[in-house]
Amino acid sequence: MGATEVVISRPSVVSPFRAQLTITGRRLGEVWHQILHNKTAMAGLCILIFFVFLALAAPWIAPYGPLQPVNDAPALSPPSPQHLMGVSRLGNDIFSQVIWGTQVSLLVGVLAAIVASVIGTAVGLISGFVGGWVDDVIMRFNDIVLSIPWLVLMIIVAARLGTIDLLGIILVIGLTGWSVTARVIRSQVLSLKERMFVERAKMVGSSNTHLLLRHIFPNAFPLIFANTILTVAISILSESVLAFLNLSVRQNISWGRIVAEAQKNNAMTIGNPGWLIIPGLCIVFLVFGFYLFGYALDEILNPRLRRR
Amino acid sequence: MARLLAVAVRRSVNAFVTIIGIICLNYVLVRLMPGDPILSQCPHNAQYSASCAYDYSFFGLDLPPWQQFVIYLQKLFTLDWGVSYTTHQPVASVLMRALGWTLVLVGTSTIFTILIGMAVGSYAALRRGKPFDFFSTGIGIFLYGMPIFWLGLVLQFSFIKNSFFSQTFSWWPVLPPHNYYDFNNPNLSIVWVWDWPHVSSALVHLILPALTLSLGTLAGISLVMRNSLIDVMTEDFVLTARAKGLNERQVLRRHIFPSGLPPMVSLIALDLAFILGGAYQVEVVFDYYGIGWWTINAIDTQDLPVLQFIIVIGGVAIVIANLISDFILLWLDPRIKIT
Repeated sequence: MGATEVVISRPSVVSPFRAQLTITGRRLGEVWHQILHNKTAMAGLCILIFFVFLALAAPWIAPYGPLQPVNDAPALSPPSPQHLMGVSRLGNDIFSQVIWGTQVSLLVGVLAAIVASVIGTAVGLISGFVGGWVDDVIMRFNDIVLSIPWLVLMIIVAARLGTIDLLGIILVIGLTGWSVTARVIRSQVLSLKERMFVERAKMVGSSNTHLLLRHIFPNAFPLIFANTILTVAISILSESVLAFLNLSVRQNISWGRIVAEAQKNNAMTIGNPGWLIIPGLCIVFLVFGFYLFGYALDEILNPRLRRR
Repeated sequence: MARLLAVAVRRSVNAFVTIIGIICLNYVLVRLMPGDPILSQCPHNAQYSASCAYDYSFFGLDLPPWQQFVIYLQKLFTLDWGVSYTTHQPVASVLMRALGWTLVLVGTSTIFTILIGMAVGSYAALRRGKPFDFFSTGIGIFLYGMPIFWLGLVLQFSFIKNSFFSQTFSWWPVLPPHNYYDFNNPNLSIVWVWDWPHVSSALVHLILPALTLSLGTLAGISLVMRNSLIDVMTEDFVLTARAKGLNERQVLRRHIFPSGLPPMVSLIALDLAFILGGAYQVEVVFDYYGIGWWTINAIDTQDLPVLQFIIVIGGVAIVIANLISDFILLWLDPRIKIT
């Protein structure tokens, strides 16, 4: 017993890792607190939670599978109590398809945005930090990629990958969507490089890797995170365009695909306008949710637009 | 001045390198397309094999890749762009006609977008935190998230004959949903003539595509205009201007607008890529046979000669637009620091 008292009397030493964790935790708590008090962020978050719930609960909410034919109504029949949004040409329940479509849109949007953000962040960090001819080469390449109309680039990559399953779509959107992120991160790194704390870190002899990973990256991270949320919104839109242009496989029932089916079968003139309108509105609201949350987060994490 | 010139030269060289890059990457990209464009058109019958072989040599597809590349460069710069695989028309004439129609569509909608977007954005910035700001920003983000093809489809079906709205309201107009002028009207010749019936028909057909494209791209301009002005409004020199007793109009005209506008110039140039992407969707939805429609068609039918020059035209247009915006920025804002 006596021995422990001696130990406690020494000044407590906290491991640097624990200290870092505590600081990060406190900072996250602060951000969360600000999100809770930001109306825009909460509105966006509510929309997102709704759709995430819809995606996770699809197997229990949706009365039919996405490609399961129904027996009690003819193909192309208008909405009825059994089939709230009518039946498609292949005899699928459209209401169920819309609910299942949430999964595809969210999955493709989030994963493609992560792919794009990882590539864009790496390219932006290296280009901004290393500078010189490396920066020149990367930025010229970036200009070239940005100048080729994105839809063409996407379609060619899609056509090249052959059968476009879920993974293919994610790769197509991720591999073509990183150039804007790279630019944003690069300019942030350029401004961080001039800050005093980087100078100091250099002065005490930090290596470049240490500078990049422990000083530049953590300070750019809030921007990267907010930017990723906005990229999710863009990826969801891109997926819907590709699906509308018939560049994804037929089995991928996403909202864009449902809109394309509705257009092909003249949904508006056969008395089933909801077939065209509701999946479109779903895209709009999901993207709206991500934009609201992303912009609010950007304002919270990068507080230069605050009212003076 | 010498510094300004150096910057201008540097930017021009960069643009030139980018264009060379686009030309090379384009050659590779187009040839990465899967499938064989000639084979896909050949009937599966031995009696046609001779004519297929002729097609290969006619289009130069039997040559080694580097030789094809030299021919590609040669054709690119002499504007002799070869013959379309599918329609067998000269690519240059097909694309020039399509480009004209796309410019009409993109030009009309861009002018409206810029005027309305800047007005809405600056008014929202002036009324920051007031209801107008709240609603215009909300509607802006909402429109920004709208898939352009879906917006086009909804507008298309709202203005067809016997649409829901025209059955409800007697004054609801019916607007043509397809093509760039009325091909079925016996009074109009299929070949475009510059006379009033053709022009008026084209104008009526332009309404819906241009409206769709404007609504789809309006929000980008107005949101950035708002943020850019608000950024300037929090600067110290605006406070100084107010403190020395300028009235609100003078502060706006002399201090806020001159500093807030330059970012818009580069945004509009950067937005061109986005607008072109939107124009693709609009042209597909409305069967408007411009560059976008031809792109999708060329990809579907593997019409490589058409596809490769479309990509070059689009890419070069974007690079040149960016270069022009850089020059305008240099002229507007001499502070710009070049790293």
